[in-house]
Amino acid sequence: MSRIAPLPLDAITDPELRALIAEGEVLGVPNDLFGRIVARAPEQAVPLMRALLMSHAQGNVDHKLKEIMRILLARFANDKYFASLRSNKARAMGLTETRIDEGCFAYEDDSKGFSEAEKCALRYADLMFLDAAQLDKAFYDRMKTYWSEAQIMELGAFIAFHYGMQMFMRSLGAKAAG
Amino acid sequence: MSEALLDEGIDNYAASERFTAAEKVALRYSELMSVNPDVVDAAFFDELRKHYSDNEIVELGAFIGFNLGYHTFFGTLKFYPLFSPDGRLVSQAESEKLYGTAPASLKKPEAAE
Repeated sequence: MSRIAPLPLDAITDPELRALIAEGEVLGVPNDLFGRIVARAPEQAVPLMRALLMSHAQGNVDHKLKEIMRILLARFANDKYFASLRSNKARAMGLTETRIDEGCFAYEDDSKGFSEAEKCALRYADLMFLDAAQLDKAFYDRMKTYWSEAQIMELGAFIAFHYGMQMFMRSLGAKAAG
Repeated sequence: MSEALLDEGIDNYAASERFTAAEKVALRYSELMSVNPDVVDAAFFDELRKHYSDNEIVELGAFIGFNLGYHTFFGTLKFYPLFSPDGRLVSQAESEKLYGTAPASLKKPEAAE
């Protein structure tokens, strides 16, 4: 499951952390494994869990789009743990595996029906760790035609944080059970 | 912590005599997660465990992941220092003129001073 053994849930006594782990279980991302691993670093665990959940499920950008971006990043990071998780909220909003695959592998194909704003956001996620040099002034100017600066910061911070945690979980060789 | 030690920890930690074996493996974890994550395998974790507890490894790994993500993101935003060398709060446009194409924080200490 992971090179670092997660703490048993009953060994986690911080009520705030336990509530965040439960919140993750409801959303589906992260499931309890991530919270039980970061619980080993108690000073970091609550802010990490809170940031992961808030950046994904809250904010002013469509949650379904962020779910596709998150999976695109996890696949690029080769992180089997986060790549296998799915947001129950996005699923309830109608996001399908077919749409996720289209968003990861064919978002620029006009026949797939992504809006120009969505294409730009997916390209932002795609390029951040593949070729950040392409995220230049011209790219940000294009982003600003579709997204407010607050939304761009929301997207950029979301991309950075989730990719960072995906690389961390990859380094642990973590996999979701089942 | 001096700028010289900081640079040695980035550019030459493996051969340096100024870092302990524990510090070297932590620095290697930081480097590999970014540039060669395939090398962070079970054998590497065995090496980490010679020096760090599982709790400390989680602390290190999450810290490294966080920084890996945000430094790349912030790098795309092309921030310049908020203050001029004489301590004035300056605009990003003025800062770019003062510091040139590379922020001073990315230059070697000799060039930055």
